[in-house]
Amino acid sequence: MGILTVLWEKWVEFKRDFYKITMAAMISPMMYLLIFGMGIQTTSHGEPYLNFLIPGIVSMSTMTGSFSAVAQNMSVQRLYEKALDQVMVSPTPLWQFILGQIIGGSLRGFYAGGVILLLTLPIKTGLVFNGWSVLIMLLNGTVFATIALVLSFLAKSYTDAPRFTAYIITPMSFLCNTFFSTETMPGGFRQIVNALPLSQTSAMMRQVAAGAAPDQRGFLILFAYLIIFSCIAVMFIYKKKNL
Amino acid sequence: MIEIRDLTKKFDDFTAVDHLNLTIGTGEFFGLLGPNGAGKTTTISMLSTVLLPSEGEIRIDGVKLDRKATALKRKLSVITQEYSMRQDMTMEEVMEYQGRLYFLPRNVIRERTQELLEFVGLAQYRKRVVRHLSGGMKRKLMVCRSLLIEPEILLLDEPTAGMDAFARRQMWNLLRQLHSRGITILLTTHYIDEAQTLCDRVALINQGKLETVDTPSALILELGEYAVDEPDQDTLKTRYFPDREEAISYLRQAGEEASMRATTLEDVFISRVGRGLASQRSRKR
Repeated sequence: MGILTVLWEKWVEFKRDFYKITMAAMISPMMYLLIFGMGIQTTSHGEPYLNFLIPGIVSMSTMTGSFSAVAQNMSVQRLYEKALDQVMVSPTPLWQFILGQIIGGSLRGFYAGGVILLLTLPIKTGLVFNGWSVLIMLLNGTVFATIALVLSFLAKSYTDAPRFTAYIITPMSFLCNTFFSTETMPGGFRQIVNALPLSQTSAMMRQVAAGAAPDQRGFLILFAYLIIFSCIAVMFIYKKKNL
Repeated sequence: MIEIRDLTKKFDDFTAVDHLNLTIGTGEFFGLLGPNGAGKTTTISMLSTVLLPSEGEIRIDGVKLDRKATALKRKLSVITQEYSMRQDMTMEEVMEYQGRLYFLPRNVIRERTQELLEFVGLAQYRKRVVRHLSGGMKRKLMVCRSLLIEPEILLLDEPTAGMDAFARRQMWNLLRQLHSRGITILLTTHYIDEAQTLCDRVALINQGKLETVDTPSALILELGEYAVDEPDQDTLKTRYFPDREEAISYLRQAGEEASMRATTLEDVFISRVGRGLASQRSRKR
């Protein structure tokens, strides 16, 4: 029930800011696709580079969509508007509030990734997108929505949200299997980057796009992130002395 | 009944609330008075579980209040000092969000929203986004939001701050009505006359510590019911007397500019808090 309340709040926000949200989800990824995928004609792993790029861009959009939806919203609600107080006082169980935020954030991420998928449909790439792709996008969204929740509880001012994006999301966007394969990275660094959630998501999206089944290890790693950060988020909302 | 036992809140080295003990009876209208930084808002924040105490506990009807106590929270409603609501929602959406957070049916939310917004004269602005409301309108909306759920306990942190005199009186009447329905009200305010007019009992807190707690009339009686103000160069000295004759006799001896009046709760506040501040200054020396 509390989950539906949070989803209703997210829906109100989505309806009101529909154009802004959609444009924000489209512009950067489309620029990357146009410049790197279509402008600079090249190949990767024996295929057009665009075929490598599209699954990575979709994964990246899912990440940025879900992360920014939760991080900005929660930071502003907690530190500037103090609207989180309304939730804290209410009888809505706080774990339901957390779960609602995670699901809502994941859906926003899925929407951002879905917009890119729709826009690339007219390009005849032969890439496969199916139920696995949907599942991976939603799971990736939940992971980054949960990370965003934890960071927003740690934020000391609402200007911290853009900083989190600069320190975490931007480096991940460029390093984690989006624009180039992690295979070319040096040993230790490659293993660290491969353990990050976006690397796993991009890899699984590419496997599905190539018509194969996704690597189950990817799901395990994403679930591990989801469980760890969900537990931290729930602990913060129940135990943090000064919210 | 609200029982506050040894309630303490520390922020690093600063103690905002220091072993506060209070008992507020069911249906009581209780005022929490103190100068800026006395710990009033921190106490309300702990009662609303936004802040967790460093020590001590709060019990409501014998049950410990914490963030998991959803059944207790159903009884509580808060009007915070700040406009704590989504600034990008319309008034209607703010009310619906509140109703949903308290699991009210949609038709009940709609009916009560209409009634409450009409009552405070905001019904015509129901589609207006909160960001575009004046301070007074936001304050009224917060009152509507807190009353939507028909609480048993109402926590009010400076509810009339920023309101004009007319709106303040409207609010006083509303609070009286709520009190007459048996709602327990805890009010913090800077307006001492507000506390004297509305509250059954008041607590004076200073530097996070409880100075005194009693009915406004008992506190006034303790200080002396009659006050004589004497201008002394640029300041006004006030002396308090327990009976009228004594005050009149002093007034006759005092200069022509001296005047007599009834002691108010504000005199008690200034006397108590001033004494507290003076003793703190002497301790520092």
